[in-house]
Amino acid sequence: MSDFYEFDTLSLHAGQTVDKEFGARATPIYQTTSYVFPDTDTASSIFNLERGGHAYSRISNPTVGVLEQRIASLEGGSAAVCTASGMAATFCAITAILSQGDHIVASSQMYGGNISLMKNTLPRFGITATFVDPTDIDGFGKAIKDNTKLIYGELIGNPGLDILDLEAIAKIGSQHHIPFMVDATFNTPYLCRPFDFGANITMHSVTKWMGGHGAAIGGVVVDGGNFDWGATDKYPTISEPYAPFQGINLWEEFGPAAFATRIRAEAMRDFGPSMSPMNAFLLLQGIETLSLRMDKHLSNTMKMLDFLQNHKQVSWVSHPSLPSHSSHALAKKYLPKGAGSIVSFGVKGGRDAGKAFIENVELASHLANVGDAKTLIIHPATTTHSRIDAQALVAAGITEDMIRLSVGLEDIKDLQSGFEAGFRAARKFAGE
Amino acid sequence: MYFDVNGKRIFATTGGKKFDNSLPTVIFLHGSGLDHTFWGLHSRFFAFRKYSVLVPDFPGHTHSEGPPLTSIESMADWLNDAVESLCARDISIVAHSQGCLVALEFASRFKDRVKSVSFVASGLATPVNSALIDAAENNPEAAIAMMVGWGFGSAGHLHQGPVPGNSMVAAGRKIMRSNVPGALAADLKACNAYSNGKTAAAAIDCPVQVILAGKDRMAPRKAGMELVEHLHNPELHIIQESGHMIPQEAPDESRLLLRNFIFSNNPSG
Ligand SMILES: Cc1ncc(COP(=O)(O)O)c(C=O)c1O
Repeated sequence: MSDFYEFDTLSLHAGQTVDKEFGARATPIYQTTSYVFPDTDTASSIFNLERGGHAYSRISNPTVGVLEQRIASLEGGSAAVCTASGMAATFCAITAILSQGDHIVASSQMYGGNISLMKNTLPRFGITATFVDPTDIDGFGKAIKDNTKLIYGELIGNPGLDILDLEAIAKIGSQHHIPFMVDATFNTPYLCRPFDFGANITMHSVTKWMGGHGAAIGGVVVDGGNFDWGATDKYPTISEPYAPFQGINLWEEFGPAAFATRIRAEAMRDFGPSMSPMNAFLLLQGIETLSLRMDKHLSNTMKMLDFLQNHKQVSWVSHPSLPSHSSHALAKKYLPKGAGSIVSFGVKGGRDAGKAFIENVELASHLANVGDAKTLIIHPATTTHSRIDAQALVAAGITEDMIRLSVGLEDIKDLQSGFEAGFRAARKFAGE
Repeated sequence: MYFDVNGKRIFATTGGKKFDNSLPTVIFLHGSGLDHTFWGLHSRFFAFRKYSVLVPDFPGHTHSEGPPLTSIESMADWLNDAVESLCARDISIVAHSQGCLVALEFASRFKDRVKSVSFVASGLATPVNSALIDAAENNPEAAIAMMVGWGFGSAGHLHQGPVPGNSMVAAGRKIMRSNVPGALAADLKACNAYSNGKTAAAAIDCPVQVILAGKDRMAPRKAGMELVEHLHNPELHIIQESGHMIPQEAPDESRLLLRNFIFSNNPSG
């Protein structure tokens, strides 16, 4: 076996050792807070990071551990840490390496929660951010300051769907010796593995396509294991002694897993945003069929694009797989299987038409989520991005008439006739 | 810690404790293309149990300045220079794969320094197939894939392992990528050229332990048993389910075996 297991095999098996006692084929749900130590020596060695093992489920749990290793395997990362939500994952990753006075260069086209975290919340703790148009590569380099410690972006921008040029930005990161972290929620490892293009850290809201069922919130940070934390003195949380663990130097002891170890040793211990074993179990069930679902998401997306582009009540349609999209070439490069299943479009007749459409569309659910097996729609300007100001709205590429569609796995005929119900209701605003 | 060996900047982890040459020393030696982190689930354990621990990166590996050394004999000499510069004493060597060949040379030539040797996943020699050497010289990524692919057994390939969230296979690749160019090829050629194993094994007179893996595809059981035959009175253990990368694939089992052996043959206050 010099060959490595392929994606679909890893999606089903990675991280799981078949239960030795009963032979359970599914990953058992270890619904426990804590673990009996066989002796004091084992206990102290687990606490002192001398060996692997579980002590308390805030820090790690066997069911969650399977999910972590499974995602690490799919992403090509050296270690992963699961968290209670995608936002928790981002927060834990940032606080693992940034402290008061530090700075982030981030894409301006991101999920509203990411923008709000960096624009409103982190500054209260002395961590600031500069937002850059994701298509302005030079802008990333220009925004870097002496105190910049992280470059952050979403591969498929939210909701304008501009594609981040991973290689170009990774190059800027490596020139300045700053890690590049990618929110890879919209692509999943099935469509693109950012580490293959030089990214150093990824996160996913596994709430979305990874789980796919819309039944559990969760997040993950994946350590690419490819950043030299010791090359400068900029990252003391990784490369200097860490007092709570007898002055351990994580970089020296754990090398390619040093960053992930910091998150587990600090964020999971001191903040405690742990994923529950039940949620990890549910999310594992989703990942088992990730490639099958993504293929269907993509084929349904192509059919919906065709439908919307040819609909007389649709004023515009945006998706990176369309040649008209400004990121089309980058999408072909980074997302050759397809550029995800989020589509933006405008309904003729503006805000009122949009409202009528959303309230009358059938089958598609009006809610604030993406990446469910079921088709979802929302009006970003009044919901997900309502807490950011008008200027940021423009920077994020959001218009008043924009409807964001997360294409699900339903039969395409049913989906399209559900849409027709919405269009019928919107017709009176279209000025026809 | 960083220290100087023959004018080169060398890195060794000391397991999270300051190196103290008044204590008995456990030196862990990594195999071809690897580095100190390979022993991370063992080194800290001994450092917190009254041993001074030294896990060097061989020259040209991860944090240690190159160039890489080109023969097993020169690696043993280099190790002796490192030991001398730190005044390390009462040494227990724990070695994996290529490190075992270095240990054979070191323990047979510098007998006074050595209290015990633990050989993990090795034979008396390590013949390396020419396709792998060729890849290491001309297509390092392919060579890394072969090393990691053959090195790890099924648990590794399924990204399992006792450290929650960590993938040992992925980490193995990243470690091999952090060596200076040519380090893996130099290691493999040094292994391939080494032929003094029988003589060296016969000359070792301290307590020895051999830990083999039941599913080792790089140092097969037959080769391991040959080592056992030529050592004096070795303690032999076979970890059935592990592949070649025992320190990562079976850290708990191997730690326990090493602990029992070193605690009794090189006790610390
Ligand atoms: C791109 C992106 N990143 C992060 C998040 C946050 O994830 P969670 O809702 O799991 O906290 C979301 C959620 O909508 C998202 O769409």
